[in-house]
Amino acid sequence: MNKAFEDDCDEWADWYQMEPIERWNESQKLWVFYIQAGGSLDPEPDSQSPFDFIYAPRPASVDGRPGLRLVRRSGI
Amino acid sequence: MGGQACVLYGAAEFSRDTDIVLMTGAENLRRLSSALDALDARRIAVPPLSPEYLQKGHAIHFRCHQPDAKGMRVDVMSVMRGVAPFEELWPRRTTVELGPDTSCEVISLPDLVQAKKTQRDKDWPMIRRLVEANYAQHAASPTSQHVAFWLREARTVGLLLNVAEAFPELVPAVEALRPLLCFARVGQEARLAEALEQEEKREREIDRVYWAPLRQELEELRRR
Repeated sequence: MNKAFEDDCDEWADWYQMEPIERWNESQKLWVFYIQAGGSLDPEPDSQSPFDFIYAPRPASVDGRPGLRLVRRSGI
Repeated sequence: MGGQACVLYGAAEFSRDTDIVLMTGAENLRRLSSALDALDARRIAVPPLSPEYLQKGHAIHFRCHQPDAKGMRVDVMSVMRGVAPFEELWPRRTTVELGPDTSCEVISLPDLVQAKKTQRDKDWPMIRRLVEANYAQHAASPTSQHVAFWLREARTVGLLLNVAEAFPELVPAVEALRPLLCFARVGQEARLAEALEQEEKREREIDRVYWAPLRQELEELRRR
């Protein structure tokens, strides 16, 4: 019989064998610590995500002015 | 259906948002809007919340401002590439009790694995862990459904060889859907490793192609 898990370690084996609620609770502890330590809730930069760019600041207009749009122009 | 679902099924992901899959429909959207209002959630990016964008496969992104959930992000989707429509996802979901009065409906493991087949590096080790966790939990007395799932979705040579060796009678049926199992069946490790790599590469390319027009649409919406 082959070895099923290629980089088997006790930590993963223990994690796999927990009940879903136990994993959830462990994950919540990490979450609480993360928030208390001032961790950011902003999206992680991920260049492979199809919507990574939507969180980026919009590019400045070419003339450097605020994003005014011309909606009507006089004849002059 | 995102990082929290991965944790519940046995992978490990530290997710900074909550991903929700929603059936589009007037009543559901009304209920979603009401829940988002209770969280004082405001949209933080394009596109706007509408059945049209959800049906096209876009995600709608929100950030909560209600004090108990301040800063938390919620992403809502209705359609995911390669994943069955909501009407099929719902009956096969898992209900998880998180407390005496709290339960949540979680996308099924096979559907979650399907949703994770994206162009992103980080999703592929997640699939591996999800399948391994399921194997670790059920290897002692698996059903034929478990075995078929492992044969369909396992991402490592070791696990595939192991399952193919233990359940040779179940391999041919799945091999029709996943031809690389022919290498697992005869123990060709190097060929199997190469085929797994190619399979991932193909799937990632399909995802890139799928997202190209959606990405373009997002860029246009962002320019408006």
